[in-house]
Amino acid sequence: MSRFLVERDGRTHLRLMEGMELSRNEALLAVVGIGFLLAVPDIARVTPLSFAVFHQGILFGIAALGLNLLLRHTELVSFGHAAFFGAGAYTAAVLASHYDVSSGLVLLAASIAVATLLALLVGYFVAGYLDIYFALLTLAFNQVLFAFVIQSQFFNYSDGLRVRPDGLNPPALFGLDLGTTAYEIVLYYFTILLLVVMLLGTWKLVNSPFGRALDAIGQDRTRARFVGIPVEKYVWIAFTLSGIYGGLAGGLFGMVQLHVRPEPVLYAFVSGEILFMAILGGVNTLAGPIVGGIVLVYLLNIARFYVEYYHALTGIVLLAVVFFLPQGILGSLPMIGSGLERRRDDPGLFLEDVKLVLGSLRKGVTRAITTVRIIIFGVN
Amino acid sequence: MLEARELRKEFGELRATDDVSLQFGKTEGEMVFIVGPNGAGKTTLVNLLTGLLEPDRGEVVVHEEENGSTIEHEITDVPPADRVNSGLVRSFQIVHVFEEMTVRENVRVAVLSEHGRTLSMRTVDDGHEDVERAVDDLLEQFRLEEIQDEVAETLPHGDRKLLDVAMSFGLEPEYLLLDEPTSGVATQEKEYVIETIVEASEADDVTTVTIEHDMDLVKEYADRLVVLHEGRVFREGAPSLLETDAELRRVLLGVDE
Repeated sequence: MSRFLVERDGRTHLRLMEGMELSRNEALLAVVGIGFLLAVPDIARVTPLSFAVFHQGILFGIAALGLNLLLRHTELVSFGHAAFFGAGAYTAAVLASHYDVSSGLVLLAASIAVATLLALLVGYFVAGYLDIYFALLTLAFNQVLFAFVIQSQFFNYSDGLRVRPDGLNPPALFGLDLGTTAYEIVLYYFTILLLVVMLLGTWKLVNSPFGRALDAIGQDRTRARFVGIPVEKYVWIAFTLSGIYGGLAGGLFGMVQLHVRPEPVLYAFVSGEILFMAILGGVNTLAGPIVGGIVLVYLLNIARFYVEYYHALTGIVLLAVVFFLPQGILGSLPMIGSGLERRRDDPGLFLEDVKLVLGSLRKGVTRAITTVRIIIFGVN
Repeated sequence: MLEARELRKEFGELRATDDVSLQFGKTEGEMVFIVGPNGAGKTTLVNLLTGLLEPDRGEVVVHEEENGSTIEHEITDVPPADRVNSGLVRSFQIVHVFEEMTVRENVRVAVLSEHGRTLSMRTVDDGHEDVERAVDDLLEQFRLEEIQDEVAETLPHGDRKLLDVAMSFGLEPEYLLLDEPTSGVATQEKEYVIETIVEASEADDVTTVTIEHDMDLVKEYADRLVVLHEGRVFREGAPSLLETDAELRRVLLGVDE
């Protein structure tokens, strides 16, 4: 077989790099996924799909991808990752509006650097904690940062800062002279490029011995210590790495929005949303957090026009995911796929499905009637 | 040689380890068994030696031969992971393995760590042939090859115990502290577990310190016996003490003769 195709267990795998192989289905999904992402600006031109919202979703997805390093591998739940997203966004904003830095690449590099330093600092304090303490500590750091920014004149309070170096034009990209639309599109493709790099890098990381060590820490901290893994140090490294994703995504977000305010990037709710994106897309998958990011940001944006309390939507979707798709969107694909295949072979199963749905509906209605009866007439 | 010097540990009113001084591995590859009734402080002693607990006073010391002379390293404040990396390894009474990993992956984590490979950026499937060879050897040595692709949490108890011990050997210990390696293992398999441990430690000259309740096994395999009682060293000597010392029998078995 050729360099890029290998046989494993009688199936052909696509080999992307040393040790990285995709099964036929995975390769197909990856090609469709990347093809779709590349086509989004064109699709948006002919359909109501909002390209800007989509771009935002990818950026939050990248932050969720970083968060998932902690969630999936060290099994730590951070409620404070908006801190790094916000730090990235605000770094770009501060440099552009206070110091007239006009190079987009410099803004982005600075965003990553500041978020990394912040993650190093926060990580140092939280690396020794577990479970609820870890969650609360990360949340606390996030809130401190939010409160500081929203009350600071330097950050222009809750009005935030613009990411327009001369007060008018967006940052320069690769020395190109771009109009508004072209700027957005170039930035979008740059995001896709970075996204692919981050996904490959993440894959490499989690499949390296370091990734295994993080898994070990997540599954049994005591044993990890007693196979000689310096647990706190590795959690610290993982935490810092995950903050880098947030910084990159936040920096790009600032450059896309051209205006950074505290609520959309730093508020603790945003941390919760980033966490939810990873779960929605599928914690146990590589690209799940990206899918989750796109879907959730899109849902929240659409819902805004139809429902007054659109934030309730997050809750409803979360409930739906927990009950019906506990593996998340991407994580459930194999199950759905094999389920469909079985039903293709045996259409009788569809009848079973219908019966199941009707049955649970009937049970639900009966239960509701009983409840109402008890409320009105009491138990007898 | 691994040495406990006047180790003391108190939990509230209870003095679990009461000025214990002991030496392990005076001869290389020595098999020491620690016995004693429940609450004698056996596990606490192992926890103090391996760094899971900090002593209230006393020292843990490792003596090493270098260029013909013996050098003392005080390791009382050294974190567990560093002790492991310098050859002081333990297993647990309640099995600690990585539950969601397969048998092979579990052993691999230990070997990767031992080979100082945990920060390598080469993926696990790529270019760690020495690691994979060492993993194969361990799986063979502990007769785990056939179940190497099974997930740890699905294994029967005896296999989990063996896996725990195999991981410990994967760390190439100089001193191996085993906290009841046969607890919960079916009677007919206990012999097999201990036999496997003995073979492996003889092959690598590992000094083992084993907590064990089965006196038949102790009599058969111990080079030396340490009896703990109420936190103190009650007896120390040849395993034949179990036969000859009436007071010891009374403490251990609660039998009046």
